Amino acid sequence: MIVIILENVRSSVRGELSRWLFEVRAGVFTGRVSALVRDELWQLLSEKLGRGSALMIYPTNNEQGFAARSLGEPSRAVVDLEGLFLVQVK
Amino acid sequence: MARLRTLPKARDNISFLYFEHCRIEQEDRAIAIFQEKNKFLIPCASIATLLLGPGTNITHAAIKTLAESACEIHWVGEDLLRFYASGKGGSSNTERLQHQVNLWANSLDRLGVVRRMYEFRFDEQLPADLTLQQIRGHEGVRVRTLYSQLSKQTGVEWKTRDYKQDDWHDADDINRALSIANSCLYAVCQSAIHSVGYSPALGFIHTGKPLSFAYDVADLYKAETTIPAAFEAVASNSIDLETTVRRMCREKFASYRLMHRLVADIDRLLQYGNPDDEAEPFCFLWDDRLTYVEGGKNWGDEGEL
Repeated sequence: MIVIILENVRSSVRGELSRWLFEVRAGVFTGRVSALVRDELWQLLSEKLGRGSALMIYPTNNEQGFAARSLGEPSRAVVDLEGLFLVQVK
Repeated sequence: MARLRTLPKARDNISFLYFEHCRIEQEDRAIAIFQEKNKFLIPCASIATLLLGPGTNITHAAIKTLAESACEIHWVGEDLLRFYASGKGGSSNTERLQHQVNLWANSLDRLGVVRRMYEFRFDEQLPADLTLQQIRGHEGVRVRTLYSQLSKQTGVEWKTRDYKQDDWHDADDINRALSIANSCLYAVCQSAIHSVGYSPALGFIHTGKPLSFAYDVADLYKAETTIPAAFEAVASNSIDLETTVRRMCREKFASYRLMHRLVADIDRLLQYGNPDDEAEPFCFLWDDRLTYVEGGKNWGDEGEL
């Protein structure tokens, strides 16, 4: 299962994601995809993002049980500190 | 909400979080950590141990929040000197503590625990007729072999374990890495010991120090976690050895599922089995004939006067 959260992005980007995932709240997408599709979706976002930000959370075998990837300038960042993903606010 | 508070703190928790040169405050009933220009939000109820390095400031409200979240705090010096504080004080009853004390105080039972602790570290079963001295001999060989294997695998030179307590900065990289890694492991083991109410002082193999039992428990896991973590961290030649050591420790703790195993392993080694131990806390008055009588009651009304 993955969760992607978009902030302040062009509607075409949201539209692209909504082909693959359920948009359960404005800008919040979720679904179950294979690791390959997950990485492809992220690649797509990296190329098309433009303004705004994207955050993807997905399960992994680490201590926290999940990992995070970020693009752009979000209102809250998720940073890797010594192997833990922590939420950093301004 | 009250139910959430009484759920046992446990196996899914994050083992530790280390911060230095920062300010820690309560925020929205959780914790915020301010470091340089950054502010991090920390779910303290999901973390077992908070390790605070040099230069940290912490508020009263933050400590109260951490105590309520059953998150233990360890202050760690540059020379790895540690002070610790824990809040709610572990389990809500002393069943496990009493069990530990009874085993510890009886030589035969204590020996049984010692043997099980040594046997835990070996993959193969040890012959039942070995004396304790012979088991210690095997253990010595096992540890020496482990170090030399890791040294070969990682290419990190290994001479001897040297704690260098007087001159921390004089220690070589691998010894510093081992000390840092083991320091994390001791803190995590101590938290687990406290969280279910055992005493870290009453050790079986180790004796005489206030953390003897914590050393016993940590020794069960060093070969699979901190020792390889230290060697791999040094081998990686990173600029910041300390950070890398802690990162490697976290990886090893996770892949070995340390948090999941700790309490169950300790209970098994001490042969403690009480399915009811997460029941409501109770308090009794000790009695020399009946073992215990009900607490919270005025016995002056009982009529036996």
